[in-house]
Amino acid sequence: MSDLPPDEPAIQFDHVRFRLDGRDLLTDFCLEIHRGETLVLLGRSGSGKTTILRLINGLILPSGGVVRVEGRATTGWDTVRLRRRIGYVIQEGGLFPHFTIERNVGLIPRLEGWPPERVHRRVQEMLELVGLNPEEFRNRYPHQISGGQRQRVGVARALAADPPFLLLDEPFGALDPLTRSETQRQFLSLRQRVRKTMVFVTHDVTEALLLASRIALIEAGRSAGIYSPAEFLDSIEGPAREYADVVRANGKILGWPQ
Amino acid sequence: MSVLEYFVRHRQEILELSVQHLWLVGASMLIAVVAGVPLGILVSRRPRLDKLILGSANILETIPSLALFGFLLPAPWLGARADRLAITALALYALLPIIRNTYAGITGVDPAVREAARGMGMTGRQMLFQVELPLASGVIIAGVRIATVLTVGIATIAAAIGAGGLGEFIFRGLAMVDNRVILAGAVPAAVMALVADIFFGALERRLRHSHV
Ligand SMILES: Nc1ncnc2c1ncn2[C@@H]1O[C@H](COP(=O)(O)OP(=O)(O)OP(=O)(O)O)[C@@H](O)[C@H]1O
Ligand SMILES: [Mg+2]
Repeated sequence: MSDLPPDEPAIQFDHVRFRLDGRDLLTDFCLEIHRGETLVLLGRSGSGKTTILRLINGLILPSGGVVRVEGRATTGWDTVRLRRRIGYVIQEGGLFPHFTIERNVGLIPRLEGWPPERVHRRVQEMLELVGLNPEEFRNRYPHQISGGQRQRVGVARALAADPPFLLLDEPFGALDPLTRSETQRQFLSLRQRVRKTMVFVTHDVTEALLLASRIALIEAGRSAGIYSPAEFLDSIEGPAREYADVVRANGKILGWPQ
Repeated sequence: MSVLEYFVRHRQEILELSVQHLWLVGASMLIAVVAGVPLGILVSRRPRLDKLILGSANILETIPSLALFGFLLPAPWLGARADRLAITALALYALLPIIRNTYAGITGVDPAVREAARGMGMTGRQMLFQVELPLASGVIIAGVRIATVLTVGIATIAAAIGAGGLGEFIFRGLAMVDNRVILAGAVPAAVMALVADIFFGALERRLRHSHV
């Protein structure tokens, strides 16, 4: 990673198009993600956010244009090596139902050939990091824990092998507001300790404002602007305005100072 | 002489033919599993092959068993020994449920699980052996269960080509018009099918319940 010139984007979408069954899911899409930043993808359901994540880790390849990770096109990467560098928290959780929580979280370290005690310690650390008591959870199966707990295991699993990249597809969607807020704060402090390049998908504007270094708005498979959280909140025109209006209107209803 | 007395008097022969029957079923099932599971995996990887492979297995299934035994009779190596031939024919019959269930089990794995496995960088082989096959195992065993019960029944016909087994009693009883003789073949065969059904049924439940 260090052989990358400092100004080179960690991830780059260069006029990317993705076509499936005669329909463009992504059109002329350009985006640069800097090293160490948390880019939030915000957009309506079906706008193409998951598609963007899947293009980054090579689960799908562009029909036109280039997606570059660390300067190299995803078509030129060995896909397994590429994906091992990118932690992936998928939208539906995707925990392995026949593995215990411990085996789920330790999967990639084990595949990478870490010695068992090191995997064990790492799993312990990761579970604590996402706020799950290791003693209580490690021997359970995914169907024996709640939906929100499963999501957190998904985050722990993606972090376990300490990859430089992290793709998170609505990782906190199933959490209650209190746990969600706690988890967001843990996430912020985690981000200060481990410097990773993250792409974070959410539907929640507040979450976007809280966690993002920059927010990319996606509309119908196109980029509709990139904002810093402050720019985003202050937008009085353009696509970001609708979102910002929602935040302002909610504030007004609640009687918050404008 | 009652049915029971007949059984007791012929217990030696019942035992021998049961063992022979078990051999026919066991050997053919082993072959069917060893061939059928990889074929099922292949079909799941190359959907275009599904018509060819599942179609052929389907056609095999529709050939009346006595006719299949007859068709194989002139085959050079197979025809030389009756049990060899019978085992081959039985394995061909058992193939379809095993291929079909392996295929169904693998393609039935939750797409989110598949997405996670691929997205985290598992190789195709790791995915197959650590994710797909373990998750499909319950459905695969269900196929083995169906195939075994089926084979125990069809194996009685192997006696018609001199391969032995419990069918000996059945054909003899038919010729003698003696129900006791028929039962000496039918009852042990039914027990065998029942035991296989219960055993594989329990195994299937265990495999499914380990993660549901
Ligand atoms: N495998 C597929 N086959 C056909 N269409 C697909 C497929 N996957 C996604 N799409 C379509 O592509 C578009 C973008 O999907 P994508 O999953 O990227 O949306 P998203 O922004 O992640 O939505 P959400 O917020 O609901 O998760 C949608 O219109 C969807 O219907
Ligand atoms: Mg999505």
